Amino acid sequence: MISLQHYLVVSAALFSLGILGLLTRRNAVHVLMSIELILNAANINLVAFSRFAAGNLGGQIFGVFVIVVAASEVAVGLAIVLTLYRLRRTPNLDEADILKG
Amino acid sequence: MNAEAVVFWVFSIVTVASAAVVVLSRTLIYSAFALLFTFFGVAGLYVLLGADFLAATQLLVYVGGILVLLLFGVMLTHKIYDLDLKTDTTQLAPGLIVAVGLFVILSATAVRTQWMGLARPPAPTTSEIGRLFLGQYLLPFEAASLLLLVALMGAAMIVRRRRDA
Amino acid sequence: MEELLRSLALFKPEIALVAGLLLVVIADSIGAAWRNAAVRLLTLASLAFALGLAFNLQASGAGASIFSGMLVVDPLGAAFKVVLVAAGLLTVLAFTFRNSRELHGLGQGELHALVLALVLSCLLLASASDLVMLYLALEMVSITSYVMVAYLKGDRMSNEASLKYVLFGAASTGAMLYGFSFLYGMTGTTSLPAIQAFLAGGIPEANRFAIYAIALLVLAGFGFKIAAVPFHFWCPDVYQGAATPVTALLSVLPKAAGLAIALRFFYGTFSAPGTSAWDLEGSIGWGQLVMVISVLTMTLGNVAALTQTNMKRLLAYSSIAHAGYLLMGVVALSENGARGLLVYLAAYLFMNLGAFLVVTLVHLHEGSFDLRDYAGLYRRAPLLTVAMAFFLLSLVGIPPFIGFLGKLYVFAAVIEKGMGIYATIAALNAAIAAYYYFRVLKVMTIDAGNEDKPALRLALADRAWLVAFALANLVPILFWSRVEAWARGALVMYAGR
Repeated sequence: MISLQHYLVVSAALFSLGILGLLTRRNAVHVLMSIELILNAANINLVAFSRFAAGNLGGQIFGVFVIVVAASEVAVGLAIVLTLYRLRRTPNLDEADILKG
Repeated sequence: MNAEAVVFWVFSIVTVASAAVVVLSRTLIYSAFALLFTFFGVAGLYVLLGADFLAATQLLVYVGGILVLLLFGVMLTHKIYDLDLKTDTTQLAPGLIVAVGLFVILSATAVRTQWMGLARPPAPTTSEIGRLFLGQYLLPFEAASLLLLVALMGAAMIVRRRRDA
Repeated sequence: MEELLRSLALFKPEIALVAGLLLVVIADSIGAAWRNAAVRLLTLASLAFALGLAFNLQASGAGASIFSGMLVVDPLGAAFKVVLVAAGLLTVLAFTFRNSRELHGLGQGELHALVLALVLSCLLLASASDLVMLYLALEMVSITSYVMVAYLKGDRMSNEASLKYVLFGAASTGAMLYGFSFLYGMTGTTSLPAIQAFLAGGIPEANRFAIYAIALLVLAGFGFKIAAVPFHFWCPDVYQGAATPVTALLSVLPKAAGLAIALRFFYGTFSAPGTSAWDLEGSIGWGQLVMVISVLTMTLGNVAALTQTNMKRLLAYSSIAHAGYLLMGVVALSENGARGLLVYLAAYLFMNLGAFLVVTLVHLHEGSFDLRDYAGLYRRAPLLTVAMAFFLLSLVGIPPFIGFLGKLYVFAAVIEKGMGIYATIAALNAAIAAYYYFRVLKVMTIDAGNEDKPALRLALADRAWLVAFALANLVPILFWSRVEAWARGALVMYAGR
């Protein structure tokens, strides 16, 4: 029988993988993908709780808004990556080194 | 193992395995396509949880929008003829320790905590969600439209080639 | 329908801003020659209107939960709104496209629209009363800020800064969202008052750990907005890379909104009334957690600022340190703490904007942000230097300047709650901070150098704003009772549904 905890563990795995990607990736687009994993993990939580714990649709509504926000963030993030690439010809974070610290 | 369990395990493994590929693969294109499978897996989990509207939105927006955008980003920031789409990873070990630790902590928390116990049996959600958007959650719904306006204007402005005001 | 109308009646400042935003976008898209003037006029009008409406709102003392519990209107929120809109208005007034060298030649319409959107989202954030609204408003503030920082798209530093800002911000708010999801699962609702009622009813032992995890994750998101340690890494780079007017705006608006919602969230969710409505006991030890963060923040900000030579980075670390002091108002779980937070924020607004105005003007005339190029500025621009002296002394917290008032209130609130060691550490920090503020002053007045350069000729408007900000730093102490009355009138937090 699949219960709430099953879904929560799956989302915990996604979240941890997202954090791993965040910490180890150099390329900005890779980091953006890791952030998408984090947001999806939180969304799975919200929907699972909506189904098993809350008994209302608040979690799913929240999930829709998270998707909206994620789309906006990716749009703005990629716009900046593109501009950075035009100026520096590399989207790698390590080589974005004019600013120290 | 009933059908629900089988479907759950299939989707979960697809999701987590592709997520691992996204994070660990050296090639950006492989990560992007693995992300596609992750999104599909998550959409499948939504359907299992009875969130039909959200699953459709996930596919439309995440796969059809965000992923396509990410692929554009990948393609436009590398010379196509170069095909050198590999990226390095900084030291894996410390990150791995943090990630595993985080997973253990979060899973333990998830299992041990007494969550609220009201279940909602799966039922079509679209009409209810529509009612909520125009009822209780009206303000966030409208605010989200402003957010999209700002993001749209902003992204377009940032990418636009320099033109004097 | 009636609820909607009732909500709209209490929503007037935000409506003014929305109208302004839409009109600005439309005006900008009509490519007429008067476009820039129209955009600026519309922005100023909309902000001025919103300020008046916010004042009205605070004066009326209205307290209600509007839009089905998404937002809450109360005098405390209204006071924050006044500060937020005032910050936006003053920035748009004082920092024009003419006196900022960095912004020369860039499109004005989008930036003004973004300023309006930023102020609007900060207002929504400061009064959010539901997890969904909170998350959405926080992300609106963030995304608007990302775009504003990326405005100088031809500049490499600006690009790198905005990229780091986006990635760091998205990650922090993603973690915060995970915490929110746990909170939703534990209580079954997204409404903050309902969550508070649920948690006040007692937390089972098995859930304690989850509550701590939630608090930490949520602090990731709030800490990022306030630039508190350890979520401050983006701050110096972003402040340095953004155009200085944008930096000035970002140093006040998101910080103030973040503190307002942190106050409301931690008071309104994790606290239960003790002896009176305002003496709250934390249901978990989050007070100590925030105290640790506050101490780390002010210490790191001050220590790092000691060696900075870039004015923007110096002011960035200075704002980080001030966030630490501001958090004192949150840690002191009391009425005086909230009052201290408000007064400090109002003071901080004037000190910081003034300092950034000086930096902008020097950059306009000298083309540099380096402290060494400020040497001997007293001889070449006496008015500028005197004004800067006012701002620096205010930032240190010396009487009779307004910065002293702010510090006085938060220190008093903390000491009253018996946290003597905390107050001592903060006082030591203020002493350390004095070093780098005085160093700037010393370089500007005493240091030799740049004698061969001509005197700076500042525009009349710039001179007027310098004087205005300088006076704003000095004069309020004469009207202390009025300030007190304003802050006291703000101390009603609506706790209903």
